[in-house]
Amino acid sequence: MEYVIHLAILICIYLILAQAFNLNFGIGYQFNLAHVASYSIGAYTTALLSTELEQGFIVCIIASTLLSALFAVLLGGIATRLKADYFAIGTLAFSFVVSALLINWKSLTRGVLGITGIPRPIIFGRELNENLDFLILIFAFVLLVQVFLYFIFRSPYARSLKAQAEFEHAAMSLAKNAGLVRNLSFLIASGLAGLAGSFFAYYINYIDPSSFSLTEMIFVLTIIVVGKPGSFWGVIAGTVFLVLLPEPLRFIDIPPSILGHMRQLLYALILFSVVWFNKANLFPVQRGV
Amino acid sequence: MSLDILPQLLINSLIAGSIYALASSGLALTYGLLKILNFAHGHLMMVGVYMFFMFNDWFGYEVIGSAIGCIAVIAFIAYLSLKIFVLPFTRYSYVLSFVTTLALSTIFEAWISMQFGVNVKSLTTGFQVHSIEFMGIFITPIQIIIILSSIALLGCLAFFIHYTPYGRRLRAFSQNEYAAQGIGVSKTNTSYVVFIVGALLAAYAGVMVGYETNMQPTMGNAYTIKAFAAMVLGGLGNVWGTVAGSYLLGLVENLSIGLDFWGYSIPAGYKDAFAFMIILFVLLLRPQGLFNSKSRAA
Repeated sequence: MEYVIHLAILICIYLILAQAFNLNFGIGYQFNLAHVASYSIGAYTTALLSTELEQGFIVCIIASTLLSALFAVLLGGIATRLKADYFAIGTLAFSFVVSALLINWKSLTRGVLGITGIPRPIIFGRELNENLDFLILIFAFVLLVQVFLYFIFRSPYARSLKAQAEFEHAAMSLAKNAGLVRNLSFLIASGLAGLAGSFFAYYINYIDPSSFSLTEMIFVLTIIVVGKPGSFWGVIAGTVFLVLLPEPLRFIDIPPSILGHMRQLLYALILFSVVWFNKANLFPVQRGV
Repeated sequence: MSLDILPQLLINSLIAGSIYALASSGLALTYGLLKILNFAHGHLMMVGVYMFFMFNDWFGYEVIGSAIGCIAVIAFIAYLSLKIFVLPFTRYSYVLSFVTTLALSTIFEAWISMQFGVNVKSLTTGFQVHSIEFMGIFITPIQIIIILSSIALLGCLAFFIHYTPYGRRLRAFSQNEYAAQGIGVSKTNTSYVVFIVGALLAAYAGVMVGYETNMQPTMGNAYTIKAFAAMVLGGLGNVWGTVAGSYLLGLVENLSIGLDFWGYSIPAGYKDAFAFMIILFVLLLRPQGLFNSKSRAA
């Protein structure tokens, strides 16, 4: 039972992370490789605030969300001026700057040792040490975030985001401010990634830079690609499927040193084969005039 | 600011720059031709050094035999990578090739980790290596080989680009793709040659890194991003700009951590972060690269 609750919590965390990325990448077609960097900023903010400054749950999640969003605005100022290849390189560089800081700024982040002993949140005077209690808390937030994003996905804003992705000049000729629309999607997605990071730090109690590597980014990317970019329910189904997929590997007799790489390989092969079979209609090429 | 160690730093940056130049020129060639970013380029370099290690250490071949085996295997892997992971997607959105090369890089890393283990290895020359002191500069024979051979290989690359039929086709494609196809040059055939040449140069750089320092399966990402940094410095797809950018990157990295600025020095751990900061600043201020003068490409 404990194991099922653990998986459910993981699914909840990734639902926030992946659905936020779906707004940015699935609808806006922005190949934002810094999404996991925003996630790590959120996780470290929560970890530091709750251990060093002993702040409560509400302060931590709000600070994590806002700080990630702030970094997104800084990055967005550079990155959303760029197109395609340049955008991918710029965001990748940003994510490596963040991970270099996490590893090397030892006085703040304790480097590769990571931050331990993050306390569980206290809600109405009750410390959520039981995983079931934590699941209920995170489920409430997931519901909130998904409803929020569901309405965003159906709003005029999402339509203009999609329009600028498919044909920027046409969108601009209809008086859509493409740069602003892109920046806003960046802001929302990164803020929600920070929220997911906050819950990750609270749940695992221990974070280190290796949890936020490029492998994690590829996992989130796989969720979006498997679930069909831009599809709300598809990404939810994709998250549940991909989090549960490697679990049977636990019950096969595989040495633990290989297990992690088996998962990596599995996700990469799934990512590649989904792209291979849907190459014509996964990311529509820009529509001609 | 003490300047006694400046000559040593310059030599170190020349060594680092030579490695980056070999690693990144293939990336620039591929970008110039196919207009795709190959996120697996640094991983091809990593696979190259592990293949050399396999022939040299596991099968016990001499250096020449290992080199021949490594060239054959890397050429085959590069051929398969291009055929399966890149070419089927170039007709469609540019995002697809990002996704597939990222998947390819993960596949390489997971495969090498499972095959060879994740711990740090290094190639051994078999004989005792003494560093040579010359006017206060310490340099090992392998580092001299790195500097000289990279200059020689870049010379060969210049010959390949400027004096061979394939190089002529390559230049035609980077100038105007449709005009080149219009006179009947095959993009597919040219891209195979270019991609394999780039992968072999990267693999050579990998072997040199394996001899000079060490190797591990996670080194691929670091070199991919450094090759990107060099390419952004020189302008995307501009091969000689990228080579110049590589040497500049080596210089900036070594000078920034080696010199102390008015009593304050930057910790060595931030060395890698400089490549990424350079990318961000160049993209912010001069997105077309330092050596391209045309109007903004991005």
